[in-house]
Amino acid sequence: MVSVINTVDTSHEDMIHDAQMDYYGTRLATCSSDRSVKIFDVRNGGQILIADLRGHEGPVWQVAWAHPMYGNILASCSYDRKIIVWKEENGTWEKTYEYTGHDSSVNSVCWAPHDYGLILACGSSDGAISLLSYTGDGQWEIKKISNAHTIGCNAVSWAPAVVPGSLIDQPSGQKPNYIKRFASGGCDNLIKIWKEEDGQWKEEQKLEAHSDWVRDVAWAPSIGLPTSTIASCSQDGRVFIWTCDDASGNSWSPKLLHKFNDVVWHVSWSITANILAVSGGDNKVTLWKESVDGLWVCISDVNKGQGAVSAITEGQQNEQ
Amino acid sequence: MKLKEIERTAVQVWSPASNHPIYLATGTSAQQLDASFSTNATLEIFEIDFRDPSLDMKCRGILPASNRFHKLIWGSFGNGPSDSSGVIAGGGDNGVLTLFSATQVLTSGTEPVIGRREMHTGPVRALDFNSFQCNLLASGANSSEIYIWDLNNFSVPMTPGAKSQPQEDISAVSWNRQVQHILSSAHPSGKAIVWDLRKNEPIIKISDHSNRMHCSGMAWHPEVATQLVLSSEDDRMPVIQIWDLRFATSPLSQLEGHTRGVLSISWCQADPELLLSSAKDNRILCWNPCIGEVIYELPTQSQWCFDVQWCPRNPSVFSAASFDGWINVYSVMGGSLAAQQKTQADKISSSFNNLDPFGMGQTLPPLQVPEQVAQTTLVPPLKKPPKWLRRPVGVSFAFGGKLITFGLTKAPAQQMQQIPLRQVFISQVVTETEFLARSRELQTALQSGNLLDYCQSKIQAAQLQFEENLWNFLKVNMESESRTKLLKLLGYSKEELQKKITSCLGNGIPEKQHFPEADGLARAAQPAQGSKCSVTEVGTASSSSGFFDSLVSQDMSTLEILVTTDTDGLISQALLVGNFAGAVELCMRADRFADAIILAIAGGETLLRETQMQYFAKRKTKISQLLSSIVQQNWRDVICTCDLQSWKEALAILLTYSRQEEYAQLCDMLGARLESEGEGVLSSEACLCYISSGNVERLAKCWVKNHETSSPLALQDLVEKVMVLSRSIEMLRGSTRPTLGPVLTEQVTQYASLLASQGCLAAAMSYLPHSSDELLIQQLRDRVFHAQGESMGNQQPPPFPYARVHVGPVSHPLPAAKSSSAPEASARRQSPRHPAKVSLKA
Repeated sequence: MVSVINTVDTSHEDMIHDAQMDYYGTRLATCSSDRSVKIFDVRNGGQILIADLRGHEGPVWQVAWAHPMYGNILASCSYDRKIIVWKEENGTWEKTYEYTGHDSSVNSVCWAPHDYGLILACGSSDGAISLLSYTGDGQWEIKKISNAHTIGCNAVSWAPAVVPGSLIDQPSGQKPNYIKRFASGGCDNLIKIWKEEDGQWKEEQKLEAHSDWVRDVAWAPSIGLPTSTIASCSQDGRVFIWTCDDASGNSWSPKLLHKFNDVVWHVSWSITANILAVSGGDNKVTLWKESVDGLWVCISDVNKGQGAVSAITEGQQNEQ
Repeated sequence: MKLKEIERTAVQVWSPASNHPIYLATGTSAQQLDASFSTNATLEIFEIDFRDPSLDMKCRGILPASNRFHKLIWGSFGNGPSDSSGVIAGGGDNGVLTLFSATQVLTSGTEPVIGRREMHTGPVRALDFNSFQCNLLASGANSSEIYIWDLNNFSVPMTPGAKSQPQEDISAVSWNRQVQHILSSAHPSGKAIVWDLRKNEPIIKISDHSNRMHCSGMAWHPEVATQLVLSSEDDRMPVIQIWDLRFATSPLSQLEGHTRGVLSISWCQADPELLLSSAKDNRILCWNPCIGEVIYELPTQSQWCFDVQWCPRNPSVFSAASFDGWINVYSVMGGSLAAQQKTQADKISSSFNNLDPFGMGQTLPPLQVPEQVAQTTLVPPLKKPPKWLRRPVGVSFAFGGKLITFGLTKAPAQQMQQIPLRQVFISQVVTETEFLARSRELQTALQSGNLLDYCQSKIQAAQLQFEENLWNFLKVNMESESRTKLLKLLGYSKEELQKKITSCLGNGIPEKQHFPEADGLARAAQPAQGSKCSVTEVGTASSSSGFFDSLVSQDMSTLEILVTTDTDGLISQALLVGNFAGAVELCMRADRFADAIILAIAGGETLLRETQMQYFAKRKTKISQLLSSIVQQNWRDVICTCDLQSWKEALAILLTYSRQEEYAQLCDMLGARLESEGEGVLSSEACLCYISSGNVERLAKCWVKNHETSSPLALQDLVEKVMVLSRSIEMLRGSTRPTLGPVLTEQVTQYASLLASQGCLAAAMSYLPHSSDELLIQQLRDRVFHAQGESMGNQQPPPFPYARVHVGPVSHPLPAAKSSSAPEASARRQSPRHPAKVSLKA
């Protein structure tokens, strides 16, 4: 069952482009073409406007909450080429950092797993991806991947923090040796996987299957299995599930989840990584789940936040 | 920014939006000559591959053509999948219209030209494919000639109506984007005519009567059926007029920005608020025609650009063909031009250096080489965010199985005008209904403490024998006299056994007369009578001796002492001198075990034990090992050496004899053997041993080893058992809940996070132990606690399981704890996973 438990009237004056809950699922951040970012307390079915953040000079495309260990921090990106990091201090939300180093619209922001420190990846229409790392004392360090995607990068998504080998093997007192990776999707129809090596970001993989702009990529949360999974969706109406079984991260194989009749804008994994939510230009939200025999099955059509959930029956095809 | 470039003096056209990959076709321009003065004509198709960051276009097809071109268009008409790339139509001099199969050109096929007609007069400058019926092609040339061609029957064209008078050239034809039978034509005189093909006549003529409009281009509004734009090539009137046929007396508005005549326009199909124009002032502008504002300008070109075209498939890309002999592809999304410009400049220079067309030993002067731009030219992107970047809908998951959705509502009456919804829906997603139902049952049972009923219902519902056994064990474990009942479960009921023995021995024979060799299990069962758990007395030497004493006293009548030299004699003699050890030795050697034992009893505790050992060493019968173990109370041996097939019997022995303090350990040992040595079913039977011993962790471990627990219901199967066992131990022993081992921790954490993912936050919380060193559990507790919002009342929040990092300048001396309205915790535990992380607080 998908049932509405809260309907938040955002009072945005133009199209809403993103809505994200914080780590605990108690606060909702929204952003809109009306250039504002709003934060609501939505605990227990209520909706209290906590903040109406003004600072962008264009449509705000995406918002992203940082992990609570860094305090209450929200990043937003806009067509105005800026990335703003907002922070709550004594109950008031203020701009704590602004990055203006992109030459075009910044379309996507995503915080790295909290284990790495406070790092924000940002994808822009200028084709570059920037990585903003908080180095302490109000300072941020910028790394930039230019020409990551010709014509533009539409989405970035971090891989979950996985340490090669077991955590137990890590010598105590030392920072675990994480392999940092993230995926990006762009107007060159490609998905790229980036890996940090000796402090430098390098293109590790190029995933080709889409025939038009990649609109969104979502790296699935880790559920303790060695398999990595990425979902991607595109202007071409296709949604692919990419999986990689080997630890070196070299062999990715795509599986077509479905071909929709319209552009697919968003893909989002559930926290437990077993359900994929897909939102398309036909204003339909569908939920998908993998059956035992490896087929992706649509288990729900969500309309205005409501819908039934069907169980996966054997031999069911991914008809939709 | 510039994306691609190619040096061609050519007219150009993009492949249709449906085509992938994206191609750009070029045909040698009829209006220009380059420095080679060659009049050869070529049709080329280039692949525009944006995956490749270089500026090169890859030539994918080349075809010599008989005529040079005034106009190229590309439609998606095709016959079947083998012809999927569509048709390119080229308008040439002398009224020539040629149709090319794009697929044939791309594959260097044998019949690239699929049609060629010379019906028109003069150069064919105006061409357009109907966007609804891709087989319909409109063409226009001199003398007001407009033809409509059907590609399915490309022989005789039709006309949209009588020729307009006075006769003049046709500079553009264009099909309406909304109404398929409406066509318009534009003329250098500044007039435009709208034709209705159903009526076969012109239905309206538009002209601003200024006589200064000189139509170079025309385009219908991509979405509004009655609007079109006309561009004027006249330097005195370098404008773009927007007309609405509903008020056709004068233009709706006029876009004024170019300083010299407008050469071409292109209306973006993906966003009607974007209109491109190029003019003789060397500029390329993008307008928002609705408000008449220039929202993008490409830095001044070195030359006129005579044709601009949006890429139909990739909306942020357009191509521009200029008189300097280059076709460039740009993005309107801004970016730097520097690097690319330099490469082009270099190429141009070098190409001219090699060129000596007149053979005079002189190179051409670098007339048209653009300035070498050293500094970066930043081109700002479109001032107005293009429609294709405006994500209209979205979905995201949040903790607790929440789904956030937002988007447009579709008003069915006016689909075009979608109203942006201000609402964001937060929904609860529940996918595992059966799991939740079972979880609730378990939760109720655990809370009420009524576990017996719960087990009973599970026993009744069990489909597998093993499952039923497990629940029986779990249930019996909680009952009084659990050991006896467990024995019964193993198939050894004391009462039934007694009956069997009795019938075996015949009626009236007293119980004590049966022999040790009798059914080992009878032996095992009997002594337990009367003393449920503490059976230590029964098997001891003293009670055995009593038993043999009575035997002896009954059978001996007269005493005769032999002193012969045979064994009997020797024994007698040994006894006479009190050498019990010797006598026993002799008896043993003569296989007179009974005698040996009897003598040994008299000889004392030590001798008896030695004799027992010798006996067991010598006598190998089927049950001697069992006897040995029981007599010597060596349960460990039983457990370690028993055949695994008879693990039930071994467990029965433990149930009957073993002391409470070693019972659990022995059960575990048996379980461990079953797990490590047993195969298949046996290995999972170990679970029963662990239930008997109350070892929750081992039970979980064994279960996980033998069962898949990744699916919610399978996990529920496991959790039901371990929670019932764990709770029953808690109740029986009155102890607090045992601390979780690693396997159990993992499973319970998974279980709790699964519950949380279905929105059952309170239930999830109840499974997570309060005091756990496990970081995962602490993290989950923290998250679940705060996710419950105010329903947690004034309960003390769990400690925050992460090391806090202060973000922001040091000048804010406030500790993060005060500033945060987030669910706050006093404790700040340094988590082992972030050992090197130092709080950056001042």
